Amino acid sequence: MGGYLLRRLYHSFIVIFGITLIIFIIAHMIGDPVVLLLSPEATQADRDELQRQLGLDRSLPVQYMVFLKDAVRGHFGISFRHQRPALELVFQHLPATLELTLAAMVLSILISIPLGILASMKPGSLLDRTGMTFALFGQSAPVFWIGIMFILLFGVKLRWFPISGRGGIENLIMPAMTLALFSTAAQTRLTRSSMMDVLDKDFIRTARSKGLHEFKVILKHGLKNALIPIITIVALQFGMMLSGAVITETIFAWPGVGRLAVNAIYNRDYPVIQAAVFVTSLFFIFINLIVDLLYTKIDPRITYR
Amino acid sequence: MSNLKKRENFIKRFLLVFFIFCFFTPGISLGTPKGKLVIAQGVDLTSLDPAKHHTTGEFNYDNALFDRLYLFDVQGNPVPRLAVSHRIINDTTWEFKLRKGVKFHNGDPFTAADVKFTVERILDPKTKAPFAANFRHIKDVKFIDDYTLQMVTEKPDPILTKRFAAGATTSILPSKYIKEKGEDPFLRQPIGTGPFKFAEWVRNDRLVLEAYEGYWAGSPLVKTVVIRPIPEDATRIAELQTGGVDIAVNIPPFLVNQVKAMPGVEVQSVPSGRVMFLYLNTLALGPLQDKRVRQALNYAVDKKSIIEKILMGSGFQMAINLTPYHFGYDPSLQPYPYDPEKAKKLLAEAGYKDLKLVFNTPSGRYILDKQVSEAIAGMFEKVGVKIDFKVREWGDYTKDLVTKKLVDIGFIGWGNVNYDADGTFFVYFIKDAAFSYYEDPEMKNWIIEARYNLDEKKRKDLYARISKKVFEEAPLVFLYQQQDHWGVSKKVKNFQTRGDENFYLYRVGVEK
Repeated sequence: MGGYLLRRLYHSFIVIFGITLIIFIIAHMIGDPVVLLLSPEATQADRDELQRQLGLDRSLPVQYMVFLKDAVRGHFGISFRHQRPALELVFQHLPATLELTLAAMVLSILISIPLGILASMKPGSLLDRTGMTFALFGQSAPVFWIGIMFILLFGVKLRWFPISGRGGIENLIMPAMTLALFSTAAQTRLTRSSMMDVLDKDFIRTARSKGLHEFKVILKHGLKNALIPIITIVALQFGMMLSGAVITETIFAWPGVGRLAVNAIYNRDYPVIQAAVFVTSLFFIFINLIVDLLYTKIDPRITYR
Repeated sequence: MSNLKKRENFIKRFLLVFFIFCFFTPGISLGTPKGKLVIAQGVDLTSLDPAKHHTTGEFNYDNALFDRLYLFDVQGNPVPRLAVSHRIINDTTWEFKLRKGVKFHNGDPFTAADVKFTVERILDPKTKAPFAANFRHIKDVKFIDDYTLQMVTEKPDPILTKRFAAGATTSILPSKYIKEKGEDPFLRQPIGTGPFKFAEWVRNDRLVLEAYEGYWAGSPLVKTVVIRPIPEDATRIAELQTGGVDIAVNIPPFLVNQVKAMPGVEVQSVPSGRVMFLYLNTLALGPLQDKRVRQALNYAVDKKSIIEKILMGSGFQMAINLTPYHFGYDPSLQPYPYDPEKAKKLLAEAGYKDLKLVFNTPSGRYILDKQVSEAIAGMFEKVGVKIDFKVREWGDYTKDLVTKKLVDIGFIGWGNVNYDADGTFFVYFIKDAAFSYYEDPEMKNWIIEARYNLDEKKRKDLYARISKKVFEEAPLVFLYQQQDHWGVSKKVKNFQTRGDENFYLYRVGVEK
């Protein structure tokens, strides 16, 4: 196990190195920030001077080496726009994103898994059909539309929740529901099909014939065996939510990393783009590692050497 | 009754009437600022440093926390604020008398040293001030005494006071405080001489300001101001409807009627200083170098329909790319009429039968930009010009524009913040300028002459001449002046919408 962990960390290191290279190339491909940072009266000499100050006059490989050297020490450069260290900006926005993502994740697990299990117990029943219709709706309705509908219904009409901004738990509910909807739908469908697969197996029949309570059959024997694909998709969805909350963050004026990163892309603010992608990638890698380790706990047949 | 008694009674009555009047009259303060005003705008600040600010969203923070030497009134005239007067000593030397008795939020007095420090800081390349180029010609800032200052420019600059009024780059900073504490502490807890003090800033969430009761022009009326960045129009409007915010900027034309129908809210509209037009690349060899083709494209656009049908009335047809706010505007010029037949005739005269042009447009940068561009492309097709329509990402598009790589036609907006024709003509009609795709030596001479001439009448005459030539030569396709809409709660008093998208909150009150 220890060896496996070391190997995984080594692989993660290579992945991170690959990511830095890809973000660096892509960020520089989208264009030059200098034009967007100066007034229209600026001359070519002004633009050249700023380019020199930002270190953008050097060749790309040299810029990459400088970037790597700084990144190893945790420096991602100073934001061109915000004039603050890029990593500091990302860390300032990270709590809001984590809060939103975690809330959405908890919400979606609490809804999707029970709903998926109930639907799988009686396929074709009214409950199953309702659950699957909800799942279809959740997967096909665009996030921006759902968000605005929630605002109009719960914020404007019923006045239950504040409309935008970060604050107490009441501020969190609508954005978390919006962000959770897509993954809830996906997880419900997957839980249902995974459970249906398992509930057909011989050991379930055996458990039932032993006279075990149905509750125990479903949760202990059924769910435990159906959990591997469910955990995999939950982890993937979590990673996607971390980096993909930008629409939800924009609609609800939520001060998260997604909004920071998108504005950075519009402004060609390379240091912020690089720091934001780097941090979210780290989370993604970390979550994947945790999930792989969780597999061994859930299914003793899985071992890593 | 003795005279003394009479006088006493009179004073009592007067005071009673005065207090009742003050109580029922919004906008007249009895001294203590009250209530909270929440404003939603589309963007957040990027830093707390005025010298580095770039957008009106940022200027609005500067307007609250700082003061400048001059400010524009709603008509676009520079009005003295921290300066009280100026005189021109010679063609390149201006002397400014500064306001006495002004104090920064920490109690330090405002003096000429602060102005000198602010200007020199903007000009220092290390500051990386985006608008430094607008002040580069200031060669020297001379400290004469605490309240007198001289500025020496390389060449005569007739719009020097306008430069200080435009934008908020020149918000006056506290030199003593910054020198003592350093830049970083200042930028964490900035102080200015403005009507509001800094309280808190949470990036992308809220900026909180508190009334500065020691403001030189008297205490502001509102105790707390919260400026919130809410990028989504629908969310901003929902917040306005439910009372979460008191003022929402940039109501798009298609949502104006919805906001008007909300109880307790009104829409305040104002012609914008921003004009929309189409670039024509006349520098590249080809049909756009022919004046008749450019005129034809101007005749081909049905501006009235665009304003009525797409912008839902939120626009005004333009003869050239200068608004009535700007010094040098020529009211005698009338917009090109919609005349597709004349357009076809001019194209035929020019000998272009199967003309094919590339049409670039940003999407989402300006109000309904892509939709307007699509409509215009259709109008060009109607007069026989084939269009290759390209929707461009803003950063990519801007880079092409300033590096002179634009192919044929491009949709653009221009907000000339100097309120002077120079800020438009110099940028667009002198070949070397960043945004220009046009060259005309005669026009260039006139623009340069007006730029460095201190005689206002002479400048006005020159701009009238330039305007006529711009109209006749049609180096652009002139479209419209935008109209801006603001959603304002009826609880807010004395709020004034402006064509430059800025807001000033000093005299604004709020009933709760």
